[in-house]
Amino acid sequence: MRTAILPLILAVAVGPLMARQAAAIQQRPTAEKQPAAESAGKSTAPARAVEASDSVKVQLSKVAIDSLTELVNRFRRDPEAVKLPPTDQIAMGGRSIPAGTEVAGPVVAAGGPLHVFGTVNGDAIAVGSDVIVHPGARITGNAVAALGAVTLLGGTVNGEIRQLGGALGAVPAAAEVAESPARSTRHALALSSSWLIILVLMAIGVLLFAGDYLDGVVDSLEGRFGRSFWAGIATQLALAPVLALLIVALAVTILGILLIPFAIVAFVLAVVGLITLGFLAIARITGESVAPAASKRYSARGAALRALVVGVSIYMGLWVLASAFAWAPIVETVLRGVAVAITWVATTAGLGAAILSRGGTRRSAPTVPLPAVNDIPWQTPTPVAGVVAARRPTPSSSAKR
Amino acid sequence: MNSRARRFFVFAHAAAASLAASTAAAQSWRTLDVARQLKDSSPASVQVVYGMGKIGVRATSNPLLYHMQLRYDATRALPKHTFDATARKLQIGVQKSEVRFTGRSDSDAGHLQLELSKSAPLDLDLDLGAVESDLDLTGLRVSRLRVGSGASDAKLRFDSLNSARMSLLEISLGAASFRGDRLANANAQDVRVDAGVGEVELDMGGQWTQDIELKVDITLGVVTIHVPSDVGVRVSLQKTVASFEHEGLIERDGAWVSRNWDSAPHKLRVTAKTVFGKLAIDRTGR
Repeated sequence: MRTAILPLILAVAVGPLMARQAAAIQQRPTAEKQPAAESAGKSTAPARAVEASDSVKVQLSKVAIDSLTELVNRFRRDPEAVKLPPTDQIAMGGRSIPAGTEVAGPVVAAGGPLHVFGTVNGDAIAVGSDVIVHPGARITGNAVAALGAVTLLGGTVNGEIRQLGGALGAVPAAAEVAESPARSTRHALALSSSWLIILVLMAIGVLLFAGDYLDGVVDSLEGRFGRSFWAGIATQLALAPVLALLIVALAVTILGILLIPFAIVAFVLAVVGLITLGFLAIARITGESVAPAASKRYSARGAALRALVVGVSIYMGLWVLASAFAWAPIVETVLRGVAVAITWVATTAGLGAAILSRGGTRRSAPTVPLPAVNDIPWQTPTPVAGVVAARRPTPSSSAKR
Repeated sequence: MNSRARRFFVFAHAAAASLAASTAAAQSWRTLDVARQLKDSSPASVQVVYGMGKIGVRATSNPLLYHMQLRYDATRALPKHTFDATARKLQIGVQKSEVRFTGRSDSDAGHLQLELSKSAPLDLDLDLGAVESDLDLTGLRVSRLRVGSGASDAKLRFDSLNSARMSLLEISLGAASFRGDRLANANAQDVRVDAGVGEVELDMGGQWTQDIELKVDITLGVVTIHVPSDVGVRVSLQKTVASFEHEGLIERDGAWVSRNWDSAPHKLRVTAKTVFGKLAIDRTGR
């Protein structure tokens, strides 16, 4: 903001009243006081008339005045602003209140410093510049500098000394921020994209450090999808009662009471872990089925990673898609509903599979490869050889043996 | 890195950038610097309200009654700075502090630095929320102090003796970590600590001018009280399921007392109540 103000200040055609000039004024107060007193009768505002001839008139370009007016108007809208007089009563380019004079406040300068040597009955305000309170000066109200500083070289300020920096002007209401369609879309997209990234990173972590458990859940899902889904629903329904039972069981034993907070945390972590494992397993299956990897191109782990990323992207992609329509509430609601439904089914089945496979530690019974049966010795025996006919082994009987 | 991986990282960066952009756009950071000249050294009451961010309180040598430097997000916070000259009552801090998840780090949170006059006796009331506070009250004349803190990390210190006698030092904590250094310098006869969940460390070092009554009430957490070895200690404890480290103390008349209890020039009487907590008395004289 300060950098934005700098060109504004530089745009002033004639430089504002500098501290040296102000000091020069301060050195000859009596000489200047007389004409000020003479002009008092000509002005409707005596206090202003007293100091009017003591101020150095600064010539500003129209552009500079317009910029300063805009800055003053922004300050008017600022929650920390004090009440300002009309713009035509604001000294553009700076102002000085000579020693021995007394003016009625508020006294406002913009784009140049406000030097106070005398007395201001009210507030002394500088916008885009400084308030400098010289020895012997007195401000009965507040000394306020917006995008500037209040410098005390002596003198007194009865009210508050206030300096405002950073953004100036009205504060956008939170409601306005929330209602902006572009903003809400951007926010929703950022949130869903972040979740996508987090899940992909989690998938990589699970694949690296808990690949075997993931394989176990995947096996369980592939073999028993329907059962996994119903097990998932049963698990969801049982979560709260199981937690309550756990707490009651711990509370029964006096020492167990101390473990309750830890047990709750452990329970929640375990459930979240199972849900995540199950979701990643179903994402992997989805990824494998949607985009099967060419067997020669990827290693087993590479193929699993690819399937996971594809699967997670598919499920989270639904959420990203819904977020992209945050500017259209009806479309967003429909898409979000679809995303919720699909994600819930996937997560439920995944959770069930994770439960059935004991977190991936129990695999489905492996399919035993059937031994090849040599049919030649079991040709129909010929009566010439006199061999007794025996039962021909079938693949199932071989497996039993 | 193959082209697929490169594309993934480009996507990740784009998503992160969009997140940052969306949060940055919703902010309006401002600074506010307010001060008031010191006219006399009449007592004043100061109420500080600050909900989120970092806060520091210390004494100033400048002829100011107070000086607050505040950095805040105007979309979430509304500064408060009113002084009733008649009642000599200052209310300062942040009036509204909306907590909103933005993904920002703590360094991007607001900051309040408050300097108070060394001359005027102050009745100080600090109402803090989820903040990180550093309350260095060294050099201030504090006649009463109340620190209320929600979920925060608070430090309070008195490096030199408080020149005003403090009627009450009250610390009320929610789920917080609190550390009080050289609390004997607070010059308070009555010290009360009420903590919900957290870790409280009270260093009773400093200059002892009187006996101190310390009341500690903690639900779940650890309270450690460091006491100089030349100070006599008496601990009266009500505990439900709690532990008490009483090394160097002996049981007498239903309380635990230090061996120098009868001869000590100054005494600390601790009345503690805890449910699932732990109370430890450290007499190593740190």
